[in-house]
Amino acid sequence: MKKLVVVLAVLAVIAILFIAAGPFYVLQEGEQAVVTRFGAIVNTNITAGLKFKMPVVDTVVKYPKKILSWDGNPQRIPTAENQFIWVDTTARWKITDPDLFYASVTTITNAFARMDDVIDSSVRTIVAENLLREAVRNSNYINTVPEVPETVIKDPEGNVIEIEVAVGEEQRFFENVEKGRQRLSEEMFDRAVQVIPQYGIELVDIIIRQIRYSDDLTASVYNRMITERNKVAQRYRSIGEGQKVEWLGKLDNEKRSILSRAYETSEQIRGRADAEATRIYAEAARVDAEFYEFWRSIESYRKTLPQFRKTLSTDMDYFQYLHSMNGN
Amino acid sequence: MSERDVSPRNVNLPFKPRTIVIVLVVLAIVAGALSSFYMVDQSEQAVVLTFGKFSRITGPGLNMKVPFGIEKNYNVPTQIIQTMPFGYRTERPGLETIYSSGEYPEESLMLTGDLNIIDVQWAIQYRIVDPRAWLFNVEYKEQTIRDISQSVLNVLVGDRTILSVLGSERSNIAQQAQILMNKNFDLYGLGIQVTTVQLKNIVPPKGEVQNAFEDVNKAEQDMERLINEGLEEYNREIPKARGQAAQAIQIAEGYAAERVNQARGDVARFLSVYDEYKEAKEATRSRLYIEMMEEIFSKSQETDLIDRGLDNFLPLKNLQGGTQ
Repeated sequence: MKKLVVVLAVLAVIAILFIAAGPFYVLQEGEQAVVTRFGAIVNTNITAGLKFKMPVVDTVVKYPKKILSWDGNPQRIPTAENQFIWVDTTARWKITDPDLFYASVTTITNAFARMDDVIDSSVRTIVAENLLREAVRNSNYINTVPEVPETVIKDPEGNVIEIEVAVGEEQRFFENVEKGRQRLSEEMFDRAVQVIPQYGIELVDIIIRQIRYSDDLTASVYNRMITERNKVAQRYRSIGEGQKVEWLGKLDNEKRSILSRAYETSEQIRGRADAEATRIYAEAARVDAEFYEFWRSIESYRKTLPQFRKTLSTDMDYFQYLHSMNGN
Repeated sequence: MSERDVSPRNVNLPFKPRTIVIVLVVLAIVAGALSSFYMVDQSEQAVVLTFGKFSRITGPGLNMKVPFGIEKNYNVPTQIIQTMPFGYRTERPGLETIYSSGEYPEESLMLTGDLNIIDVQWAIQYRIVDPRAWLFNVEYKEQTIRDISQSVLNVLVGDRTILSVLGSERSNIAQQAQILMNKNFDLYGLGIQVTTVQLKNIVPPKGEVQNAFEDVNKAEQDMERLINEGLEEYNREIPKARGQAAQAIQIAEGYAAERVNQARGDVARFLSVYDEYKEAKEATRSRLYIEMMEEIFSKSQETDLIDRGLDNFLPLKNLQGGTQ
């Protein structure tokens, strides 16, 4: 019984030692491995699973099979028109030939260093060869989007004021880009890809993450933006002033014409009435001119005389009986 | 006794070897049992690897696997919509989300197509749709998502003028960004799907530039205010003038009616009197005259009457005036 326990214990120890020495290793999904024996590559495993190696003598170097990122430092690069911009690029890559990768760069850190050289230089070359707009814009889409004014303003006649023209924001035409950012990225990629494979690396893409102006250029762009906006603001205010004055002018014009037209009409009406009255009176006069004159006179005296301060002489027909009962 | 001293067989062990073996076996069984179950949350899916090799994807609940690390499970939150901010950070989400006051110009500053500078903040929401791809295809996942999202926004903003980015193109950018990001992520086999791209603050660079942009808005308000002032004045004065015009015409009409009617009345009266007058001309004439005089004198008391024989009237008149 005790003998059996000893035997079992010894066997167990041997088994543990054997397994610890590692004839097996697990390769996970997303990993690949190079097996070296005394420094020389003896085997490459690129599929996941339980793998065998010679214990003690074999060393397993695992590499990721996944897509990896490369993140470069932003570079200050002059464009073809000699404007300095910061270009921030990133790239994606993977290890496609682990043997070659092991032989040429060995570690991921080394690989980053190699890629820094290759990608930075291709980015620098391509950006410097092209105009700023090629790096900033991707297409000529900009010329198809109307720069719509936000407000619709109507003048006193009800016509829509063309604000976009008025504010100096008329549909501008931007020089067409020949390549655009996508194409530049591809050109960077094409350059880099000629060098990269010798490290067992496959470059997936290079993308421009961000482009910024250099600091002094930023300041001048800010100034330009400010003056542009000031011009626009000024323009809006002038339009406002102009429209206000136009409304006031229209007001004055219409007011005068309305009132004068009313004056004209009312005078015509009065004139017609006067004419009519004249005609009516004339008709009466025609009946007996002499009597009408008499009638009209006494009517008039009746109205006007009481208002006068009068000093009358008795030498009037009315008083003829004042001095004599026979008159006069 | 000496045998007892040297031989371990005779040592009084606290446990018999048999007990030790049994304990070990029990421990092994317990460990095996414990490591052959795993839980998957309702919001997750689990990817199971057998010796590192992909075996299966399992759903929520209690699941079994081969113990002792032979099968391993990786839980991936496939139902959770994850949010990633750009140009800002959320400090504490809640009813009133608190945003960190820090600025991230290296993410948010972009060049527009008309070579202006703009500050764009946005967020993407995504969900892991393929847990296997998510785990094993791309190494620096978050960095990759950030890079692509940033690059796509830069491209879209770079293709538009600053005014259209601030205004009309906003929703179009969000749409395009989602499409382009998904295209890139599919290309890498990242196993995620961007569900929304939300554009947050899109503003001109802070400071004087932003003030200048705001001044344009103010100027626009000023313009509308000025126009409205003119319009208001116009609307106040013109109806009034119309009323005045109508009034003047009405007055004239009244005058006309009065004038004509008066003439008609006068003439009618004259004609009636004339009809009588024809019958007895002299008598009527003198009656009319006397009636007229009578009316005049009866209305006024201050009439001075001077005899026709009186030669010097003036001193008397003056005297009378002086005593008043």
